[in-house]
Amino acid sequence: MLVLAGIIVLHITTIILLLVATIDNAWWITDSVSTDLWGRWELTKSVWHYTNLENYPEEYLQTVQATSVLACIFAILALFVFVAQLFTLPKGQRFTFTGILQLIACLCIMIAASIYTAELHANETLGGYGHSYVLAWISFVFTFLLAVTYLILRKKSE
Amino acid sequence: MLTFLALASVVLLGIVPEQSQAIVIYTGWERHALVGSDIRLSCSFFSWRWTSEDVTFSWTYRPDGSRDSISIFHYTGGAPYVDNKGPFRDRVEFVGNPGRRDGSILIKNLDFNDNGTFTCDAKNPPDIVGRPSSVRLLVFEKVPIQAGVITGAIIGSVLGLLVLIVVIYYLMRFLVARRVFSLSVSKHGKKKKEGSQQRQLWTPPLSPYLPKRTVSLPPHPSLSLVCLSLSRSLFSP
Repeated sequence: MLVLAGIIVLHITTIILLLVATIDNAWWITDSVSTDLWGRWELTKSVWHYTNLENYPEEYLQTVQATSVLACIFAILALFVFVAQLFTLPKGQRFTFTGILQLIACLCIMIAASIYTAELHANETLGGYGHSYVLAWISFVFTFLLAVTYLILRKKSE
Repeated sequence: MLTFLALASVVLLGIVPEQSQAIVIYTGWERHALVGSDIRLSCSFFSWRWTSEDVTFSWTYRPDGSRDSISIFHYTGGAPYVDNKGPFRDRVEFVGNPGRRDGSILIKNLDFNDNGTFTCDAKNPPDIVGRPSSVRLLVFEKVPIQAGVITGAIIGSVLGLLVLIVVIYYLMRFLVARRVFSLSVSKHGKKKKEGSQQRQLWTPPLSPYLPKRTVSLPPHPSLSLVCLSLSRSLFSP
């Protein structure tokens, strides 16, 4: 019972981390700017202004947006499929469908974070990676662990 | 009551045609084009009157950042007159059909200086009250990708692929289960007719590999749900 609760709590935490990484515009921050993936927050005279992103390699930015959204979708789907499989899976079987969905989510967020690291803000020295970026990588680790867990775990047979 | 209705109808018939006699002009909102290419600026109008012979079309151009407009095209009396002195000399061509209320022009060999607003004004006598409509021209070196097109395409295609794979997977399991079930039924049916001299039906090569308990079906989530519907013990260590 404890293991089940622990897995579900970890899964929900991962979903929350993925959502924060995708929604919050804080992949790259400097002293007065917090930017990506959807817009740019600029601090001018102690007031934050929201502007559009400009002069970005459009294809890479949109791919990062798409794959991070897909990672969120697959992680949420995996949670629902896990709960469904708890009731419908025959005894002694593995949670393969859940594991596969979670693995796809892991792959997607890895693609998003990798493309972001390689192509966007690659040559800028001013500023650093923000909390959304860090959370993206942390959720990559969590989704990978969860995927492995689901693929190894077996439903209890009497 | 009747007088009220008559009064109301007279008032409405009086008001509505007055408003609807305004001419409505349609152009695009924004046009994007590459340097050196040609662009067709479309202009059409809607009018309650028949298209008269004195219909006129008029195009004016206002550069970006300027407040002055310059006239670059005029169609009147059945003949088009194009710009022969201004920034668009020898580059404007009339490609519209006034009989079909189309006053479109073609501008050739675009340059960055052609960025600006083009206004089309059409008049269909006696219907002359109307607002001119404007289209903004943006000239690019490279046509930009619109926001969100790639994002939407990637998300849509991946989710569509997932749905397709799941549907095909369950379809295959359903078909295999049905095939196994029909084979086991035919095998039981044949055993009953052992005495008669019937011609042996050809059995597909799958039959030797059937498990001995032919009635049981392979594990299938919905079928196992039916079988295990009463026992719902959760996974727990």
